[in-house]
Amino acid sequence: MLQFKLVLLGDSSVGKSSIVHRFVKDSFDEFRESTIGAAFLSQSIKLDEDDTVIKFEIWDTAGQERYKSLAPMYYRNANAALVVYDITASDSLSKAQSWVEELKNKVADDKLVICLVGNKLDLCQEDSGKRSVEISDAKQYADEQGLLFFEVSAKTGEKVNDVFKSIGESLYSYKKEELLSKSEQNGTNTHGQVDLQLQKPATSDPTSCCT
Amino acid sequence: MGLRTTSKEMDQKSQAGPSGSNKSSVSLVSSLMRSWKITSNPSSQKSSNSNSNSYSNLSGNSSGDNRLNSGNFDAMSKQQTAAIKSSSSYSPLRYSTPVSGISVGESPRPLLYSNHRNGDHESSIKKDAYFKDLDEDWSAVIDDYNMPIPTIANGGISRSNSDNLTSTSLSKAYDPSLPLSRKVTNNSMKSSSSLGTNITQQGTAQSSHNLSYPQLPQLQKSVTSELKLQLEMENERELQKINSIMQRITKFDCIVSDKKIINQQELRQISWNGIPSIHRPKVWKLLIGYLPANTKRQESLARRKRQEYKDGIKHIFTEEHARDVPTWHQIEIDIPRTNPHIPLYQFKSVQNSLQRILYLWAIRHPASGYVQGINDIVTPFFQTFLTEYLPHSQIEDVEKLDPESYMTEEQIGDVEADTFWCLTKLLEQITDNYIHGQPGILKQVKNLSQLVKRIDVDLYNHFEAEHVEFIQFAFRWMNCLLLREFNMSAVIRMWDTYLAETSVETSSGSSTTFQSTGAAGTGSGESNPHTPLQPTNPTFQTPGSDYHSPSSHTNASSKNISSGENNRLRYSSLNEFHVFVCAAFLIKWSDKLMDMDFQEIITFLQNPPTAEWNENDIEMLLSEAYIWQSLYKDATSHWQ
Repeated sequence: MLQFKLVLLGDSSVGKSSIVHRFVKDSFDEFRESTIGAAFLSQSIKLDEDDTVIKFEIWDTAGQERYKSLAPMYYRNANAALVVYDITASDSLSKAQSWVEELKNKVADDKLVICLVGNKLDLCQEDSGKRSVEISDAKQYADEQGLLFFEVSAKTGEKVNDVFKSIGESLYSYKKEELLSKSEQNGTNTHGQVDLQLQKPATSDPTSCCT
Repeated sequence: MGLRTTSKEMDQKSQAGPSGSNKSSVSLVSSLMRSWKITSNPSSQKSSNSNSNSYSNLSGNSSGDNRLNSGNFDAMSKQQTAAIKSSSSYSPLRYSTPVSGISVGESPRPLLYSNHRNGDHESSIKKDAYFKDLDEDWSAVIDDYNMPIPTIANGGISRSNSDNLTSTSLSKAYDPSLPLSRKVTNNSMKSSSSLGTNITQQGTAQSSHNLSYPQLPQLQKSVTSELKLQLEMENERELQKINSIMQRITKFDCIVSDKKIINQQELRQISWNGIPSIHRPKVWKLLIGYLPANTKRQESLARRKRQEYKDGIKHIFTEEHARDVPTWHQIEIDIPRTNPHIPLYQFKSVQNSLQRILYLWAIRHPASGYVQGINDIVTPFFQTFLTEYLPHSQIEDVEKLDPESYMTEEQIGDVEADTFWCLTKLLEQITDNYIHGQPGILKQVKNLSQLVKRIDVDLYNHFEAEHVEFIQFAFRWMNCLLLREFNMSAVIRMWDTYLAETSVETSSGSSTTFQSTGAAGTGSGESNPHTPLQPTNPTFQTPGSDYHSPSSHTNASSKNISSGENNRLRYSSLNEFHVFVCAAFLIKWSDKLMDMDFQEIITFLQNPPTAEWNENDIEMLLSEAYIWQSLYKDATSHWQ
């Protein structure tokens, strides 16, 4: 089993928590209490390739600007980031873009998998007038930045699992490369049996990341 | 003496009042019960406080023995940790072992309100919450030993009094020196005799309560089991509960309505142990400093404040006001997801009210602005103030009824205004929690971790080993004052105590700000940004120093300062107490957490099993927090 740390980022009320709850608990609440600080959940999936099991340890962060200073603590050691926007609110895309920028600047790991996710697809399926972010614009941005990209609905569950599967596949392929290069160096074959241990935040001082 | 006078007063009062009707019928039973309670109470030093004479003697005699000085903290800590850890099933009684040592001669609150009261109104009634809790501790122990009857530890003292019991007068019902229940006389005379020795040495009958606890384990062995008495006991407990509720109500009646100037300190002290729901709206407003203690001024002040609020709201909806769209929008998003499981908050009228309150507060406090979590904090006020407009029998239904169905628009506006002002008062004391970077919360989280390190070092080390950081779970505890952790009725009970903990200086010192009428823009009244507390203005105070929020310096109006003068000895603050409550809350689960890994710990602490918590659980938690606070208060002053 491979474990990865995943962080959710994005503007307030774009549906970060709803996406996670759909993925982890397959449930949806129309009105979910706002996340304060961050919430932790975990879920495992099985990839088609090699029957690999991937376990995600997910930190779902609070979206309001005031909590922004907490985010580094959660993305610092992340293997993947899910940057969420609301396809019915164009402001939320620019917020997502600023998160992507921050991740690229602050996270040293060039293997960080970033996935851009437009949520509330169901609203636009009911009434196409509600869409305010065109899928082509978002897709283009994602391609430019080298991000995975999905439009999903946490409410109906559409494409939510695909997001995590796709992230898992990317992480797995990175991992395989890494193991391969290692085994080549060592001249031994580990068959990918190495259990990847998550890096955990090492600092005990919560303020250190908030300046 | 003082007590008997009090009880007579109380009795007269209760007969005049609505709650007096049943009183005499239950009084005999209750007096029996009371005597049982008192004698059986393992920490009944609390009751000793109810007699002012014995109280002063007692504190003189025993403070040397029982009050800890800072040098003993570590030892105490270990002892407690050991006590807590000693069984996998958490036993409050074991846990409370050090309690009897610590607070002898001190009532639950007196460390913080350290003046000696006149005594007359300091009746034992106010301690009922403690009696109740501790009785339950007893029953836990009794279960452990398969013993239906609690044998009364210090009963021996009043053996000679026991005959009086059957003819106990009403006034005697309040006397803590009052003696044995018949169970004691029937069953445990032998066992209590050993205590009697101790007691005689102590000299006063009252003080004997304090010494009873350590003897308990021996006593239990000598108790015989009589199941039928258990049933009787339950019935009596029920009666006693009703009786004590009635007494509390009467007591609050006395304080709130009987005087020209309400005795704030007395009110705080009695409120700490819970406020009857019919008194809660008014008492909250008094505690937080919204209503003045001078009863003659209350009405006019409330009228003026309500008008100010309404003018402010009117202004927001005029064209002169340039709406802060992001703030308005953020609040709009959060309102429907505030308490989504309580029907009250789904009514459009309620949502509109909260939207107005939060928006007006946000634009008047630009340094902080609206921060998620404040939408949670506003709700206990709003919900409680609604109950003022419900018939007493329907107070419990407040969560189900649409206020529009029982209130006029004008009245809803009044509730909004009261809520707004009380929210303002409360947030004044925790401003640092919501300004940029939330330094107040970070500081509290840090203090919590240090406190846990001292109280329960095993748990602290376990967290370190598992890479659990306090901020990962405690941020929300601080940001929402544990509101998200408990159901609403538990939270409201908790707030009785929290509001009794609010800093008097701050609340009274700034009660006349916000003079501007109509001009609700950012240039007026209280809208100056609240700057962060100075580094020298610590969350944890050196004992003896006063807590001042910045507003108490800048906004203090001379006519209110005088009421603060009486409270100079207070050195507690809401923030500080809250950290102790959080510590008590965390340590409650210590045994469980020790067996968990990172993921289990975080998941558990994010969803603690508190859904069924009732007022008793909260009172237990608050008592524990109080104990930790009295133990570690000196230690915390070094945390700067």
